[in-house]
Amino acid sequence: MKINEWNIDSLTGAYRKRSLSPVEVAKYCLSAIEKRGKDLNCFLQVREDAVLASAEDLEKKFNDKAKLPLYGVPIAIKDNFLVDGWQATAASKILQGYVSPYTATSVERLEAAGALIIGKTNLDEFAMGSSNENSAYGPVKNPWDTSRVPGGSSGGSAAAVAAHLCWGALGTDTGGSIRQPASLCGVVGLKPTYGRVSRYGVIAFASSLDQVGPFGRSVNDVARMMEAMAGYDRKDATSSRSVVPVYTESVARASAKNARFGVAKELLEGLDPEVRQSFDLLVQTMVANGAKVVDVSLPHSRYALSTYYLIAPSEASSNLARYDGIHYGYRSKGSRGELEQVYLKSRGEGFGPEVKLRIMLGTYALSAGYYDAYYGKANQVRQLISQDFVQAFEKCDCVLMPTSPSVAFKFGEKAADPLKMYASDVCTLPINLAGLPSVSVPSGLSSDKLPIGVQFVGRHFEEQRILDLAAAYEKLRGPFPIAPGVRE
Amino acid sequence: MCPMSEERLSKETVEHIARLARLELSSAELALYQDRLGRVLGYVKELSSVKTDPKAVVQHVPRDVVALREDRVLDFANTRKLLANAPEKSEDSFLLPAVLDGSNEN
Repeated sequence: MKINEWNIDSLTGAYRKRSLSPVEVAKYCLSAIEKRGKDLNCFLQVREDAVLASAEDLEKKFNDKAKLPLYGVPIAIKDNFLVDGWQATAASKILQGYVSPYTATSVERLEAAGALIIGKTNLDEFAMGSSNENSAYGPVKNPWDTSRVPGGSSGGSAAAVAAHLCWGALGTDTGGSIRQPASLCGVVGLKPTYGRVSRYGVIAFASSLDQVGPFGRSVNDVARMMEAMAGYDRKDATSSRSVVPVYTESVARASAKNARFGVAKELLEGLDPEVRQSFDLLVQTMVANGAKVVDVSLPHSRYALSTYYLIAPSEASSNLARYDGIHYGYRSKGSRGELEQVYLKSRGEGFGPEVKLRIMLGTYALSAGYYDAYYGKANQVRQLISQDFVQAFEKCDCVLMPTSPSVAFKFGEKAADPLKMYASDVCTLPINLAGLPSVSVPSGLSSDKLPIGVQFVGRHFEEQRILDLAAAYEKLRGPFPIAPGVRE
Repeated sequence: MCPMSEERLSKETVEHIARLARLELSSAELALYQDRLGRVLGYVKELSSVKTDPKAVVQHVPRDVVALREDRVLDFANTRKLLANAPEKSEDSFLLPAVLDGSNEN
């Protein structure tokens, strides 16, 4: 097995035995990014000198740092996180050239655990999209089939992990932006409970929904990253004080025996037949290994799409008001003279089409006379969606559902119709609205050799349980195939 | 996934929203957003048929999340880094077009 196929614990184990060094691995990643990453367009910035300097520093401090859980582990960061000295464009023209003046708490904690930041990954502009086609810097290609999308919005992070250009990556998930690309690229992606990981230093999209989470090639790798970065942060007012478990301890001895899974029929409608097949097979596997499955009902989840597309754009229209061409980012050259012209032209020229659509949707939903009927109503329906989950969790400990209704689709296939594109997230949106944790795990390949994913959804702050159950499934499933091109 | 009913927005409404959102749009964009906004708003209208309690407490943050902490100002040490991102600056200030002219002075 080549080193790029090792998991995080094998990598750090090899470092500790001095059979491998962070500089060697950094060079390996940089060369792989140069060879494959450019074609996939999954990175927006790689600072070779800074990466090598950090790797050398880790080597120099071997005696102090080699015991750290992520010592020398190359991790990619979505380009909507601030990392001191690195760019943060959120894949928008309006933030072209923006250099982060400080570091996001989640990234700071990964670095404190020894991680090596390897680059900034591509995304849909301001994390708005399900295919990565909304990036101002060109779309990311899916490593399994480069004529298809990697999913979005964290498509660059998912593709980089799937193509073995790094060992893990950070993403953000507002309506499915970690889990859906994880599913389409055949990797593991965790959206933690709202409030579990600090959002400080992350470019805000919809503040009541945004959550930071890890991508990895296995549940254990994701758990390693989570235990390093989760927990209270005084700089995020919605950050939870609840204790962070050492997730990997329990993950290592996970079993499906006596687990109580809930399956909601409402969420199995309208799926690709192969996605449904893979889901059914997973359920059978769990039952054959001692798990119980009960029917649960999530009747209001059918309104998740409408609810989400009122709440998220409303919050976005407010959050994105800060891009005014004054403090940072793009200022239109044609706006000299009058302040309002600076705003109108800089924003009109700087934002891409989908971002403008969502800003206007939100502005409309929040405007005088419409607020109660749109934003207010959506928040009430959101409560009903949440309550359905509370009731479901009285009967089970984990709800199983597909992550995406289809496998990776072709470029351009859904780009012209916003509703068709939004429907890509129909399985993931209810979980964000309810603030729950959910981990997507690859469950199989379609006949076209495209990955399919299933998500394990838990109660608030029960990341441990869903990671355990996902790991138990992973053991039963066996090793997942590696994307084409990685071994060449 | 088809919109159940299209919400027809007038061109003036779209112009008004764009103005509120501080977005200058070309006439081609105006037509595009008139169509797209209409489609999405037509779809989300389905919520009006959902029975909800208008007095229900809307809560999206898990209960154990406590937002209260001491209100303390922390200085950001490196204003130079912040100013480095400004499109136009002068020493330690952001530069913007004049907001007041002589005629507005009291």
